[in-house]
Amino acid sequence: MSDEEHHFESSDAGASKTYPQQAGNIRKGGHIVIKGRPCKVVEVSTSKTGKHGHAKCHFVAIDIFTAKKLEDIVPSSHNCDVPHVNRIDYQLIDISEDGFVSLLTDSGGTKDDLKLPTDDNLSALMKSGFEEGKDVVVSVMSSMGEEQICAVKEVGGGK
Amino acid sequence: MFNGIAGGGAEDLPQLQSTMRAIELACSYIQINTNPAAAEATILSLHQSPQPYKACRFILENSQVASARFQAAAAIKEAAIREWSFLSTEDKGGLISFCLGYVIQHANSSDAYVFSKVSSVAAQLMKRGWLEFTPAEKEVFFYQINQAILGSRGLDVQFIGIHFLESLVSEFSPSTSSAMSLPREFHENCRKSLEQNYLKTFYSWAQDAALSVTNKIVESNSDVPEVKVCNAALRLMHQILNWEFRYSKGGTKGSINVFSDGMRSDTASSRKTECVIVQPGASWCDVLLSSSHVGWLINLYSSLRQKFAFEGYWLDCPVAVSARKLIVQLCSLAGEVFPSNNAQMREQHLLLLLSGVLPWIDPPDVISKEIEEGRSGSEMIDGCRALLSIATVTTAVDFDRLLRSIRPFGTLTLLSLLMGEVVKVLLANSNDKETWSYEARDILLDTWTTLLASMDGSGGNAWLPPEGMHAAASLFSLIAESELKLASASATTDEDDADCLASVSAMDERLGSYALIARAAVDATVPFLTKLFSDRVARLHQGRGTVDPTETLEEVYSLLLIIGHVLADEGEGETALVPDALQTHFVDVVEAGNHPVVLLSSSIVKFAEQCLDANMRSSIFSPRLMEAVIWFLARWSFTYLMLVEDCNLGSNQLQSLPSRACLFTFFNEHNQGKFVLDIIVRISLTSLMSYPGEKDLQELTCHQLLHALVRRRNICFHLLSLDSWRNLANAFANDKSLFLLNGVSQRSLAQTLVLSAYGMRSSDASNQYVKDLMAHMTSSLVDLANNSDLKNLAQQPDIIMLVSCVLERLRGAASATEPRTQRAIYEMGLSVMNPVLRLLEVYKHESAVIYLLLKFVVDWVDGQISYLEAHETAGVVNFCMSLLQIYSSHNIGKISLSLSSTLLNEAKTEKYKDLRALLQLLSHLCSKDMVDFSSDSIETQSTNISQVVFFGLHIITPLITLELLKYPKLCFDYFSLISHMLEVYPETLAQLNSDAFNHVLTTVDFGLHQQDVDIVTMCLRALKALASYHYKETKAGNTGLGSHASGQTDPNGVFHEGILSRFLRKLLQFLLFEDYSTDLVSTAADALFPLILCEPNLYQGLGNELIEKQGW
Repeated sequence: MSDEEHHFESSDAGASKTYPQQAGNIRKGGHIVIKGRPCKVVEVSTSKTGKHGHAKCHFVAIDIFTAKKLEDIVPSSHNCDVPHVNRIDYQLIDISEDGFVSLLTDSGGTKDDLKLPTDDNLSALMKSGFEEGKDVVVSVMSSMGEEQICAVKEVGGGK
Repeated sequence: MFNGIAGGGAEDLPQLQSTMRAIELACSYIQINTNPAAAEATILSLHQSPQPYKACRFILENSQVASARFQAAAAIKEAAIREWSFLSTEDKGGLISFCLGYVIQHANSSDAYVFSKVSSVAAQLMKRGWLEFTPAEKEVFFYQINQAILGSRGLDVQFIGIHFLESLVSEFSPSTSSAMSLPREFHENCRKSLEQNYLKTFYSWAQDAALSVTNKIVESNSDVPEVKVCNAALRLMHQILNWEFRYSKGGTKGSINVFSDGMRSDTASSRKTECVIVQPGASWCDVLLSSSHVGWLINLYSSLRQKFAFEGYWLDCPVAVSARKLIVQLCSLAGEVFPSNNAQMREQHLLLLLSGVLPWIDPPDVISKEIEEGRSGSEMIDGCRALLSIATVTTAVDFDRLLRSIRPFGTLTLLSLLMGEVVKVLLANSNDKETWSYEARDILLDTWTTLLASMDGSGGNAWLPPEGMHAAASLFSLIAESELKLASASATTDEDDADCLASVSAMDERLGSYALIARAAVDATVPFLTKLFSDRVARLHQGRGTVDPTETLEEVYSLLLIIGHVLADEGEGETALVPDALQTHFVDVVEAGNHPVVLLSSSIVKFAEQCLDANMRSSIFSPRLMEAVIWFLARWSFTYLMLVEDCNLGSNQLQSLPSRACLFTFFNEHNQGKFVLDIIVRISLTSLMSYPGEKDLQELTCHQLLHALVRRRNICFHLLSLDSWRNLANAFANDKSLFLLNGVSQRSLAQTLVLSAYGMRSSDASNQYVKDLMAHMTSSLVDLANNSDLKNLAQQPDIIMLVSCVLERLRGAASATEPRTQRAIYEMGLSVMNPVLRLLEVYKHESAVIYLLLKFVVDWVDGQISYLEAHETAGVVNFCMSLLQIYSSHNIGKISLSLSSTLLNEAKTEKYKDLRALLQLLSHLCSKDMVDFSSDSIETQSTNISQVVFFGLHIITPLITLELLKYPKLCFDYFSLISHMLEVYPETLAQLNSDAFNHVLTTVDFGLHQQDVDIVTMCLRALKALASYHYKETKAGNTGLGSHASGQTDPNGVFHEGILSRFLRKLLQFLLFEDYSTDLVSTAADALFPLILCEPNLYQGLGNELIEKQGW
């Protein structure tokens, strides 16, 4: 019961941006840092270095912010950096004309430093939902010092 | 365009000529590719014009353009097949005799393709009219053919005659016949008629034709035109023997079964080389056997062989190839063609053939040398094929005896020498994949397999003759050594080699055949393998630290795979018996310690044990070698370790052999068994703990080895008493390093450990064992869920990984539910119910974790539901419904960023997997109504499962878009659930509100239009259930589906048709006007009937409408 991995106190307040994790344990769908960018893994394959060598993992991953494809090869017993990806839901309270949005935080303050997403679908949904007076919840994904609106959901209301 | 050509008379001449010119022009345009579309249209209009025969005949007779004649012949065929039933008998006969006459008259001109076309047209028309022509009418045609074949009208006509028969036979053979838009019975009757009345005659005509030209060919020293006729005759004979004889066996076969295709039943093994047994039946004896046919053929070929040096002949010239093909084919002659009272005849026949084939393959070393120096390998390969054919129709002993009358050794020795030679050549050119030696190796290996496979399963009584055993032994040692050489040569190539299982399955067929050869001579091969193995191990030890061991490692790797195949069979889930050969040989062994199989097994286990030492591990036991070790131990232990006497014994008459007893008792629980088991467990733990990141190795260890061990109940008892097993369980519960295994292995390990609880003496003890094992995991989830800072904490990658691991383990444990441990696992699930819901909330954006959560719940409910008491069921059901609701609330109406199409597709796939899991959850809940072990009586049942499941469906169906239903598995799961629900609980459906009701039925409608027959069947069954329910209810005076069925008027005043009417309309439309599989007919009728009963008026209306439309 007393093993260290079962303690859940969070680390320092300024939580480190990345965590080490064994390459062999990073799966498709998980996250990984490649060339300093936080990515989502879309493909993992393993091979050996020479017939009787050790396994290595070949990652194909996609930058979660820019959607660029990145690749990396790591011996599977080595550690990789895994980014801390946080997603927080906010309620949308305003869309200004210059494309910035105003979001309501949990504590009751507002967060005004994000732009409408570049994705047309998403921003259209936000705009229309907002204009119709619906309750729109946006998810903001943040990792390694970057932030982006990554999903939108209408909770009904309005009309 | 060509209408009206049919009318007769000389005045049409200009018109015929203009047609001819038009066609000629079109043909030449096509050839030079000018305006091909228009040219094709012209030709097509000739094909499609009514009665174009006269124009076609005119073109055939007068045109100078070959391709125009070709098109004319094609047009005759197409038009005649189309208009056959309107043609008069004379016209039909006239067309055929025109075609026949045409080819015979023009026999000596060039343009062979026109002739084959015309003669195939004649053949097709003849088949079309086959069943209506009287024997006398057919006789007229065949008289003409026979005359041609007899040769009185010259070689060209003779060739044409044979060629026509070739077309005819291929037209009558089902696999090569052309379509005529007629029922299958027609083709079947034609085939029967030809087989019974004509085939043999054709064969003897071909024989006669070939005989008539043989002397000329034999006597001349250069290419003579007779060769062409001879070749055609040989080809025709080959083709006729290729016929699938069906009506020969005993003659009578009541009716023709047109649907069961006459597959030959002799294709027992999955061989690479095809070898069809020729079974023409008793009536063929005179033609094939008593007429010295074979002797003639052998002589013909041997005289051809002598001419290969001359101009016009060579090893692969067509007539030589045809002759060899026929010889090989005659080698596989079998069945009633040999009179049952004359066993000698068969042997004589085969001997004759073998002696004819012998010069192709013997002496092997000389021949292979010649081939390596540039001679064609095809004759030698045909020789191998002949051996395979003979092996297919004889037993190993008969096979071996054949050669003895003409050589001082048996056929097996020859086979062994031949294959040895091939293996040597193969080794020398190992990098070139397309050589003759590859093909020859495969054929010869098939020959061995064919000979030995029948012996292997015969209870061990059939042994090869001593010389044959010797031959097998020396061949096996050659093979083993060449495999080792190949292995060491490939050690340094850095091609990405797949894991052990993959390489085993790639080599499996070959290794299986090698193992058969080895088992044919175990007295020599098992000690030989032991020696090879100890040699390599010694070499590894000597060179440790100084020499690069890679090559030797690769050799040991290969050896382990080979030995694994020799010693044990793949059980495929069943208990694999000790191979018969290993049980029955070694009769003089009385002491277990001297039994060669025991010695070999022990030396491998001893070697494997060394991986426990860290130094040895780093210098010798590479991950790849460990894979082979684990694979071998898994396969070996399944056959040898702790045998339960009765089930691994096999045939009983062998029990008394002392050698057998040693083999069986040595590794049992009273002897070395426990010791070896302990070693195996320790090796497993090492491979899990000391090879971080080696996923393949770990999966192999968990799935193949450990899982197979706990599947055997008697082994569980011993496992639990072992310290090493306790260490494994402890490490699992407490050691951080096992958290580094990948997810699948975590799950499998948890399952394995929980299953081993069976070995506890009582149910209480088993439950306690599971509880102790899993307590740590559950408490860690509970702690996490109760943490006040959960929201931030949960997103940390290390926590995500921990949670994933724990969930995989819980899922593994849940899937191992058995009556003995059900309580403990129920409590395990119960204690994490709230944490699961908390985590579902927290991880709503982390789809990988969500999926694990859902899958855990699915497996847990699946294992538990049938055991639960009423109040427990209620708790579980509530939990599941909360789960569904939370999941649904997070996902309805959510749109995600679609910057990357890959990520978007990933997200879709994740959704699909989630939903599939949820559907599975509902299906498992459903099963509570079917299988229930709880002690409650029916009355106390407090939860209405059907309502719950419909409620669940109601929650998740909005998430299942028609888009998602395109995933076949999801589609299948969804519709099987829907059809189950509608069949079993139609009344609950009736109570749904109209939105929910409509959604369900919209998807049923969608399902009806799927391609997949299973899906459509399920939808039809659902419809049937729905309509029958409504009909029965309304008959009894109840409302049934009420307003859903009667239709309703919406607020805008538009009337919406009732659901049953709508489906009646749809179903009729579907049945009458759409393409569907015939498999659906009966289910569709089942659904249609109650629909008609419900809506008789509509049905009548639709019927009238249809009749009116047809009337137009």
